[in-house]
Amino acid sequence: MPNADAMPAWLAILVSRVRGLVTSGRQDREFSREVADHLDMLTDDYIRRGVPPGDARRQAILRFGGPVQIQEQQHESRGLPFIETTLQDVRYGLRTLRKSPAYSLVAIATLAIGIGAGTAVFSVVGAVLLRPLPFTAPDELVRIFETNPLRRWTRNIAAPANYADWRTQNKSFTDIAAYEQFNSTGSGASDVFLTGFGEPQGVKSLGVSGNLFQVLGAAPLLGRTFVEEEQWEGRSRVAILSYGLWQSAFGGDPAIVGRTITLSGRGYDVVGVMPPTFFFPGRDVQLWLPFGYTPQRVQTSRRPHWLGVIARLRPGVSFEQAREDMNGIARQLEQQYPDTNTKMGVLLEPLHDSYASGARTALLMLSGAVGLLFLIVCANLANLQLGRGVSRTRELAIRRALGAGRARVLRQLLTESLVLSAVGGALGFGLAALARIALTRYAASAIPLFAVVQTDRAVLFFALALSLAAPVIFGIVPALSNSRSEQVTERSGSSTRETRWLRNLLVTCEVALSIVLVVGAVLLLRSLGRLQDVDPGFAKEHAVTFTMTLPTARYPDSAARFRAFTEIERRLREQPGVQAVGSTSTLALRGFTWSGDTTIEGRAAADYERDTRHMSMTPGYFNAMRVRLLAGRLFDTGDTREKPPVTIVNESLAKRYFRGLSSADVVGKRISFGRPQDNSGWITIVGVVADEKQDGLDRSAEPTAYSSIGQALQNPQTFVVRTTDAPDMAFGKARAQVAAVDKDLALTQTATLEEVVETSMADARFRTTLLAVFAGIALLLAALGIYGVLAYFVSQRSRELGIRLALGAKPAALFRMVVGQGMRPVAVGAAIGLAGAVGVTTLMQSLLFGVTPVDPAAYGVATAALAAIAAAACAVPALRATRVDALTALRDE
Amino acid sequence: MGESKSDILQGTLDLMVLQTLDAMGPLHGYGIARRIEQISEDVLQLNQGTIYASLLRLQQRRWISASWGTSDNNRKAKFYAITRTGRKQLAAQAQNWERISAVMMRMLRLAQR
Repeated sequence: MPNADAMPAWLAILVSRVRGLVTSGRQDREFSREVADHLDMLTDDYIRRGVPPGDARRQAILRFGGPVQIQEQQHESRGLPFIETTLQDVRYGLRTLRKSPAYSLVAIATLAIGIGAGTAVFSVVGAVLLRPLPFTAPDELVRIFETNPLRRWTRNIAAPANYADWRTQNKSFTDIAAYEQFNSTGSGASDVFLTGFGEPQGVKSLGVSGNLFQVLGAAPLLGRTFVEEEQWEGRSRVAILSYGLWQSAFGGDPAIVGRTITLSGRGYDVVGVMPPTFFFPGRDVQLWLPFGYTPQRVQTSRRPHWLGVIARLRPGVSFEQAREDMNGIARQLEQQYPDTNTKMGVLLEPLHDSYASGARTALLMLSGAVGLLFLIVCANLANLQLGRGVSRTRELAIRRALGAGRARVLRQLLTESLVLSAVGGALGFGLAALARIALTRYAASAIPLFAVVQTDRAVLFFALALSLAAPVIFGIVPALSNSRSEQVTERSGSSTRETRWLRNLLVTCEVALSIVLVVGAVLLLRSLGRLQDVDPGFAKEHAVTFTMTLPTARYPDSAARFRAFTEIERRLREQPGVQAVGSTSTLALRGFTWSGDTTIEGRAAADYERDTRHMSMTPGYFNAMRVRLLAGRLFDTGDTREKPPVTIVNESLAKRYFRGLSSADVVGKRISFGRPQDNSGWITIVGVVADEKQDGLDRSAEPTAYSSIGQALQNPQTFVVRTTDAPDMAFGKARAQVAAVDKDLALTQTATLEEVVETSMADARFRTTLLAVFAGIALLLAALGIYGVLAYFVSQRSRELGIRLALGAKPAALFRMVVGQGMRPVAVGAAIGLAGAVGVTTLMQSLLFGVTPVDPAAYGVATAALAAIAAAACAVPALRATRVDALTALRDE
Repeated sequence: MGESKSDILQGTLDLMVLQTLDAMGPLHGYGIARRIEQISEDVLQLNQGTIYASLLRLQQRRWISASWGTSDNNRKAKFYAITRTGRKQLAAQAQNWERISAVMMRMLRLAQR
């Protein structure tokens, strides 16, 4: 070895020992030959000196000094005895597991479920709450919202002029960027139509300020990002593509940068392509365009509000300082513009929190649940091992008699646990990977749009950590207890009694933990049930919907758009199978598009209503949705520009703005859209309809005024087609009719109404399903624990039971005794668990709907479920107890 | 302390083995044991097996190397030889040993007075 000189002695020793570990067998053989040779030579020597051959050999061995011990010593100092022993224990562990396949199977399956569930939940939690956003220094990014108690705004989007003032007046941020958020749901992106590349394609595009990419610190894959001046009208015909759109629509053509593409009839120069990891604000956005306002519009529009605002903290400026700074600016704006900014405050929120806010509570709840499940798994395994320890008493006692120290036996038992856990962990990791695929396929809408759930290195480490933690948690107590068995003859002495006490304690814990999970699951199930029972305000069966955006370039004015929408509606209505058709600017359960102030005729000048939602629709919409008309009439084709303006209001508006009046009385009242001083002109209420749910089934509808598209047109429109056709067929027909009107138009957001309802409940269903599954597993494991302890109890006391039976004890009495024995730890555990559940479930208040955290029915159902499954687990061993044959039991002794 | 069979400190035995191999060239285990006994004129009678522990220690530190060869009487045997590192160590340790023994001698002489 050329470097032998350079190698320090300790390293040389380590290298040699590791090599010794690997080549252990060969070296043992070589050394025993060397020893044999040595002895031969020594013997020859004695013979030469005249010692008789038989004696010579004996003397040689004496002189050499215990060849076997020396070989043993040599073996130990040659390799790494610690690792060697561990390997030995692992091999032994595997052999023991093979010998008792039933135990191993149950243990490994239990572990796989515990580790798999934990890892699966972690992969979602990691993606949503932990993984940093793909922007430069994402911790410096904050979102800025407007707040206003008068309007019940807590996290509202901002008015352009406020944004402009924040940007120039703040001292806390390197810069502030903005993007258009035209809808209360989703990422706020709108549809544009990409033409000239095959079929016209609806593309999700987002209007942004020129500095957005700089604020995010996002570099393009190709080309460049926007420059500041491009955000103004006149310079704004430039576009940046997402990686996904670049691949799907342009085949990843690198020459795309610098080319002109047609979006909704207008030409845009592609200036850049973003890398695949980039998204903003959600992964659904495929294209970014500068918003293209005039500077004047940005500086003067203090209402309405339509900008999402995002800022980067200056280095060295704390979040608190930034908040102070912004609060100061907001107060100043309030004084400066009392007309629009009265009570208008700001809310700063770290960007990641803002992204994760909707999912956080549910994910924390699921993390807690899966943590409890993991503890139950560990308790169950500890229980299993204690049970096995008893049957292994003999083996362990023999080991100790042969000289194994307690530490040595402890180590062997822990290594066996580790082997179990390694196998279970590997399976669990596989399960988690499968669960991830299932989650992304079936629960995609329950996971926030920005998050990508993947099985990455962090997830692997997590599974590994669980696999290492598990044996420590479940292995230590049984190992301590089992390693104590000292006497071969020991049968039912103190250690067995202690074991039983321990096992009952473990069952108590399992029951307590699982009842917490079951109560939580029942609460969520009841909430979901209540949610499903909610009347959405429309009939969801047999109807499909799609959204239609008319490009401004080819439909420049309301008249052109009105003609197009009306024509599409007319054609659809004439299709066979179609019962009703209509369209609206915002479909039910999809939030709202815009809201504003409303003046009620006859009230004092300062007394006006804020935040009335506005939607515009074709006359057919309410019929197509089967929304109930409470009073007055629906729109008809006569409600056009030429006629006096009319509106239909929902029940919430009628009740809230006209307190004490019946729906019928509200019909005929006049309101105007704006404040009293705006003098916007009176509009007559001609009808009152029942509320349609807007922000979710669990949220009540807000006051909403509907207009006819003939009088106030909004683009895009979402069509509803009530039909007897299957959805695919219905969409096919719709596509054909739309193409007949304009071949460059495309349908977006195609879904059945049932899917729309389903999507709105996706996250509730997701967390409920997961928690219910966890609770089910927990119950099963608890039952397994109860069964194990009781079965052992019966087998231990079979002699006593046999004698009792022989002496005339009634089987029914024995049955009751055994069941009573089994139910005792269950009762204690249930009591503890129910008390604990009260504390835990109050934390999930915000996830519940229509039930309180201490819903007595939920607690009752959970207790009943547990009692039933525990009784079943007790009944089997108890039945066995009544069939013990005294003679057999005695013979077994 | 016994008179005839002195307990040998580990390090001492290692040093003896190194010195033997340095003086005699490659030797097998039996040869080394015999040589140490001869030199010490049987003052030190060791369990010959113990030198194998010493040989392993020295090998692990790479102060000696081992290879299979043929002995005088035509048997295959494992031969040990001192390495370059081993020689350096031998020199250093021999010097050390001489210093200590000189000090020891002085101490004992002073004590006799």
